[in-house]
This record gives sequence, structure tokens and C-alpha cells, in this order.
Amino acid sequence: MLVKNYMTRHPLLADPAMSTVEAQRFMGENDIRHLPVVGDGKRLLGLVTRQSLLIDPGRLGSLDVWEIARYLSALTLKDVMIKAQEITTVEQDTTIEEAARIMVENRIGCLPVLDDGIVVGIITEVDLLAQLMEMMATRVPGVRVTVRLPDERGELAKLVGTIAAQEWGMLACGGAPAPKDPTKWDAVVKIRDVPQEEIIAALGTIEGQEIVDVREV
Amino acid sequence: MTTDHRIKTPVLQVENLAISYETRKGDVPAVRGVSFEIQRAEAYGIVGESGCGKSTVAFGIVNFLGRNGRIVDGHILFQGQDLAGRSQGELRRIRGDQIAMVYQDPMQALNPSMRLGDQMAEVLTVHRSMEKGAAWEKCIEMLKRVYMPDPANVMRRYPHQVSGGQQQRVVIAMALLNGPALLIMDEPTTALDVTVEAAVLDLIAGLQRDFETAIMYISHNLGVIARVSTKVGVMYAGEIVERASVEDVYLRPFHPYTQGLMRCVPRLGMDKYSSYLYPIPGRVPPPSNLPPGCIFEPRCHYAREECRLRKPELRLVGFKHWARCHFAKEIAEQGWTPPEGVTAELAARTERAKVAETILKVDHAKTFYEAPSKKLIGGKKQYVKAVDDVSIEVRRGETLGVVGESGCGKSTLVKTIIGMEKPTDGEFEFMGIDIAAPVSKRNLALIKDLQMVFQNPDSTLNPSFKVGAQIARPLQRFKTVPSDQVRAEVIHLLEIMRLGERYYDRLPRQLSGGEKQRVGIARAIAGRPELVLCDEPVSSLDVSVQAAVLNLLMEIQTELGTTMVFIAHDLSVVRFFCDHIAVMYLGQIAEIGPAEAIYAPPYHPYTEALLSAVPIPDPGTKQKHIRLSGNVPSALNPPSGCRFHTRCPRRAEMLPDGGKICETTVPPWQEVGKGHRICCHIPLERLRQMEAVVTVRDQVEGKEEINVG
Repeated sequence: MLVKNYMTRHPLLADPAMSTVEAQRFMGENDIRHLPVVGDGKRLLGLVTRQSLLIDPGRLGSLDVWEIARYLSALTLKDVMIKAQEITTVEQDTTIEEAARIMVENRIGCLPVLDDGIVVGIITEVDLLAQLMEMMATRVPGVRVTVRLPDERGELAKLVGTIAAQEWGMLACGGAPAPKDPTKWDAVVKIRDVPQEEIIAALGTIEGQEIVDVREV
Repeated sequence: MTTDHRIKTPVLQVENLAISYETRKGDVPAVRGVSFEIQRAEAYGIVGESGCGKSTVAFGIVNFLGRNGRIVDGHILFQGQDLAGRSQGELRRIRGDQIAMVYQDPMQALNPSMRLGDQMAEVLTVHRSMEKGAAWEKCIEMLKRVYMPDPANVMRRYPHQVSGGQQQRVVIAMALLNGPALLIMDEPTTALDVTVEAAVLDLIAGLQRDFETAIMYISHNLGVIARVSTKVGVMYAGEIVERASVEDVYLRPFHPYTQGLMRCVPRLGMDKYSSYLYPIPGRVPPPSNLPPGCIFEPRCHYAREECRLRKPELRLVGFKHWARCHFAKEIAEQGWTPPEGVTAELAARTERAKVAETILKVDHAKTFYEAPSKKLIGGKKQYVKAVDDVSIEVRRGETLGVVGESGCGKSTLVKTIIGMEKPTDGEFEFMGIDIAAPVSKRNLALIKDLQMVFQNPDSTLNPSFKVGAQIARPLQRFKTVPSDQVRAEVIHLLEIMRLGERYYDRLPRQLSGGEKQRVGIARAIAGRPELVLCDEPVSSLDVSVQAAVLNLLMEIQTELGTTMVFIAHDLSVVRFFCDHIAVMYLGQIAEIGPAEAIYAPPYHPYTEALLSAVPIPDPGTKQKHIRLSGNVPSALNPPSGCRFHTRCPRRAEMLPDGGKICETTVPPWQEVGKGHRICCHIPLERLRQMEAVVTVRDQVEGKEEINVG
């Protein structure tokens, strides 16, 4: 699960000379929130987000209405973009969890993906959420069970072993530390083509483990 | 993986595009009202005959229309930004290096005086100001990606030192170096052998998947389009007449032109006794002189008064299926009945198929070309063994097809028979006469009886002589008719060729490609020859013209009883046209026999590979996937034992000991029966167990499976 498989290749790109008015329209029409600004050979020069296009009213306050129009029409992406040296980027071979960490820690929504300084793609929070969705097999119907198990070696194997013994197919499997209980771990599994009751009967009996949530999705 | 949340903007959106060329006679509207969309990572096919404006659309997108061409209307949105009506500088910035183009002839795209590596690295050093060393590394990596054998070495070679297929790989690798969002391919495989073409098409599909590049694929070949693309636009005379997914266009064509295109290409497995090719009458109207109503009206079987008066719009006829025809739905529903007179001809032809005496017998023919020794003084003489021990027989009234990759000696064989090359060894007997002598030493009667039709009519017709005079020449020379009847006979021949008297005084440049080829055929049959050797007579022609020329050749054969040797690289055409087929590989015959036997198991492994490479214009067809690695080895130094062993995909699995025997021993001829012989070490029983290469699934019945080939 590397960035190169989940990013958007060939993103829409803009030229630094594009006027902000046009960029506003361009981003709106194509329904995008991030627009990398590139120079020759797709070299990254900057990044424009919807936020960069919001102009501080203070800067316009002192201008009269005609001057505002002139000021706005002369404004290009070069003036409003986040400059390349301030942009956090990733490589194609970065793992997606690393990309997620960078986004979370910097509180940013998008990372241009570079190869030798050349923009080859873009990965956004939506791409990562889509991937979370896929990891949990959201599109395929099945029974989703959350099992709380002690945070010890061998516990997950016990759970998976029980599922395997029943010869059930597992669509998805994920895990995270249980909320507010450092000694426990929540494992989420999704099972296909098996009635809910059978699953409760089989997984409910594992020693030391407890089903905290079960639902058909 | 989902793509739902991704950007929905198409990579390319062409809206109502019109392109005109300014000429002395005024503006010529070459392309009118063309609209289509190419989504991300999608392959879009554009198909049509030559002169339909396919390439003009492509050139319009990259603004390469030349000095007199310009976009007069419409929009080209690339990645959401309009390219039409912008200055060169602006275009360069918007387009950047995000659109790449691959042309038909790789030799024209490569600089012959620069090493391949330097040319490739230049793309990176110039566009991206990359370091030379790093660029070089990246190029090698890309060459590996396009499966170029020995890439580091290839980088140091000049374009002429690699084969055509490899050149095209270099061009494709070069196009991908910048990671373009859109790749425009204009007939990229047309100049390549069928086996190489299959490998390049596989490569394109793989690259499209890995790099998520959108592809606009232009071709005249319906089979190639069916193999690479998901959606198709059919172009005719500068307009898109039908637009839909590949399946819809191939299985349920609505527009009469698309239907006509489907009917005039022979499908693999069809033969001349059970089916007929229906050429589209007439020709594409020149863009300067278009019909007032529907542009296809003059050639359409269904044309009515309304078609002459009112121009149809491109309208929705099915799910995401568009057609430009007033009566599309009606026509599709009522089905198609062939024009009268056609079925009768078919029956007449069936009667003729009976055994006759042998007219041409070639025994152990060898034609070697002397190659200069590499040493300055002395050294052994080397020979290019173009034809090495070939034996064939042709019976009167029959057609022998010769197939094989380029460089396998097909042309040399017929040139030797006709006396244009001197045979090194072997016996050549034509109607009981020894014909090993070169053409200059043959007597007139023999020359008259042996004639040839060449591939390229442009280079075989004298450009400064009138058509009539060129056809009259053999008549006068062979004294076929008294001199006062020559003109009448020429006109008669022109009529047989469906050209008519008005062509008598024309010059070759006033004719279209198909018409020129017909003149070439008329000239060949003028002396009423017994045997006509046809060297790729239809390869350079459009499909609808090809159908007409093939029908014509068959009529001549039926009427005059002419025997033919027919060379072609299109296996569907050969299957359709020929009674017997010889498959050649590297100067030798690998398999020979009746046409229907060649296309069904048991196969020679080489025949099997050739058949699995044929692009089939039917998305419902299953085809085995066999790809030959590498190129045809040099005929200067052919492999020992079986010549095919270096590329044979079957010997390792079908013979004990990994097929060691193929490397050392020349394989024996194995008789299958009815004159079908295979030259291979693999026992016949094993060869018989092979599955058919092509399985056609009958779409109407849903269940029935027919094996052809």
C-alpha cells in the first residue's frame, strides 16, 4: 500500500501566470480543492487551495471599488500560491500511513507526489479515506464484528483461527487500541455469506474475548 | 480500488471541432462537428478509412496543422483547459509535456544521425533540465519497461541498427518518459508484422494500466481497435458518424457506414466458397465537394429522399450509443439483405473447386544472396539464405497463399519463380517447361503466361504514361489481339476492372490507390496469363477497397481460370482467398496444406503463434495468447536444427528433454493427410491435442461455440 497506487495520477495543473479569477472558476468547474502550480517540465512551483484564493479583506479595505477590480484582475497564481519550499511533499514509494501521518501532523489536506521534483500525482485526505473504506470492504455486504481482545501476543491468532476453523471467508480485518482501555485491543473483521447468529455463536465463546459490536452492513 | 472519488474531468474533451485547410481553391473543411471525450486512463479508438480526417483531429489537438490549417470552430479541452484559439506560448505552457504522440513510421520520428540513447536522454535533459547521467539511467529503465532486450546496448545504437518493432518501442518509451496524461497514437502498428503488432498492442495495454495514461488510438484496422480500446468513434469524411463502446459498435452497429465496414473485412475462418465480401460502393467524397445532405448518402444502400435533403445530427440511439443517421434505428431493426446477384456468384464459385493438373512445380528451390565478407582480405563468402529448400506445387485454377513474417522469403520465392532473381539451386517447372532461367533469357510465350501484381501500384505504374497505354503495352508486346483491336481490348479490360472507358486517358496520379491497383491487375491479366503472382496486392488499400479488389481477383479467376500465388501478411485475407496455404519461416516452409486445415489443429507451433496474433474485429471472440519473443533471426546465419527453435513456445512443454532435438536435428515432414504437411519434431498426436486458437462465441445464440482456426 504505497502512495503510487492510491494517488491521482495526471492531476489538473496550472501555470503560475493563470489569473486568480480564472483559477477560481477552473477549480469550481472541475470540482477540485487543490491545484498544483507547475513550471516547465511539470516542476512544482507552488500549490493553490481554495483557502489561498480567499483574499484578506484588510488588503482591499483601503482601495476604492475601481482599484479593487484592477487589483483583482492583475492578481495571478504566482502571487497567491503557497511557495514550493513551504509545501510538504511525498515520494511515490511512501507508504500511505506515512502520508496520513504527515497530513495529520501538519494539518494539511493534500500532498503533491514528486519524482525528482516533477509532479507525478497528488494524494489527498479523500484518497486516504477512500482507502480506509476499501480496507473495511465497505461496498461488499457482510457481517461486521468488533471483538475486544486483550493486548497480548496470540490473541488475534485465536480469533482468526476460529474463523478459519469454520471455513469462513474474511473480507476485511483491522485493529486499533480499544478506546480508554490500554490493556485491550479492538479487532474488526468482516465476514461474508454467514448468518449473524452463527458468527455470534462461534466468536462469542473464545476465552478472554468479547464481542462489543456486531451488525450487518 | 475505487476511482469514484477522483476527478471527473475528462483528460480530453473535444467539442464540435472544425478544422479547415486554406488552399488556392478556398477553405477545405477537413473536419466538421467532431465531439468526443476521453476519460482518465481510458483508451479511445478512432477508426475510419484514409482521408476521413482521423489524423487531422490528432494534429488539431497538438496544434500541428501546418501553416494552412486552422481550427475554425469548437473547443479542445485538455485537462479542463481550452487549447483552441491560444497562442503558441500559452499552448506550450498549458500542454507542457503532458501530450505525447506516436506516429505510424518510427523511422520518421527518430533522428537517423543520432544514437538512440542521446535522442531519448535529450527529452529529459531539455524538458526537465536533468543531469545527463541520471537521464541516461532513466532511459534505460524506460526501455526495460517496454521490454526492449538488452537496453543498455540499444542506447548506443543508431535507429537503423534496430528492427522496426524495436524502433517503435523506442518511440513509445520516449513518449512515456515525461509521463504524459494523454498519448495520441496514429496507426502505431500499421507498419509492423502481425506478431510484432500483437506484442506492441499488449505493451500499450500494459502501459496504459500502469501509468494511467489516456490513449487516443487512431487506426483503420477494426481488429486492432477492438483489441486496445474501450470506446470507439467511427469517422467518415471528416465527421464522426457513430460513437459508442467497442462492444456496441462491433455487435450492434447502427450507422450504415459502420455496418459496411464490418461486412467488407474477412473474419478469420471465412472462405470464398461460403461467404462474400460486400465492398462499400463509391469512395469517400473529397472535403471540398461534400454532398448537401447526409455525407454517406451517395454510398448508402438505404438512402432515401430525406437523406439527400437534410443533414442528420449525431443522435442517441442506445445507451451511450450515438449515430449520425436519420433512419439508424429502422435500419438496425430490419436487418440486412445482400444486394441481388451476390448469392448466385457464390454458388458458381463452389462448382469450380475440383482437382486439376499441376501447373507450377517448385522442387528444393534455393535462392541465396551473396553477402560481403566482413574481412578485408580473404575470408569465407557468406550467403543470405533467403529461400532455402522450398518445394511447392500449384494446380490449375487454384490459389496458393504464402504467409509469414517479413523477412521470411515470401517475396524472394515469387521473384525467383518469375525470374527476377536467379535461383541458386532447385528445379522450377511451369507447365512442363523448365523456368530456372532469368526473365531476360525467357521466351515471350513464357513471360506472357507468368505475370505479377505488385504491392505498391504507385511505384509500378509509369507516372507519365496514360492508363490505357500502360495496359495496351503487354497486349502489343504479346500480340494477344490484332493491333487494330488493342484499344477495344483495353477498354474491355477496364470494364472487367469496373473502371470503364473514361479511365483510358487518365494518368496514374489522377487515380485513387484502389483504382491504381486495379490498373496494375488489368495490366497483369492483359496477356491472359496462366499464372499470376500477387505480392501483397491489397496490403496498402483501405478495407472497403480491399474487399472490391479481392472480389475482382476472384471474378477474374472464375472467368479466366487463372491460377494465382497470393502473398499477404493478413491471415484473414489469405484464409478467405486461398485454397492452399504455405506458412514460411526464415526461408523454409513450416506448414503447407489446404486452407481450412492450416487454420485448425494440428498446427505447426509457428502457425499457432501467427494465428493468435491476428487482431480480430469482434470483442466476443476468445483468442489464445501466444507471443513470440524476439525477432526473426538473421538469414545470414540461420539457427541449426529446426530454424524456429529459438522462438518456439511449444518445444519445451511438448517434447522430452526440453526439446533438445530441435536444436540439433532438422525436423521431419509429418503427413497429416489431404496434402497437409507439418515440419516439426513434436509428434502429430500432441499437435492434434492443441486447442483451436480462435473461438467465436455466437452472440445471438448465446450458447453455441464455433471453432475457427
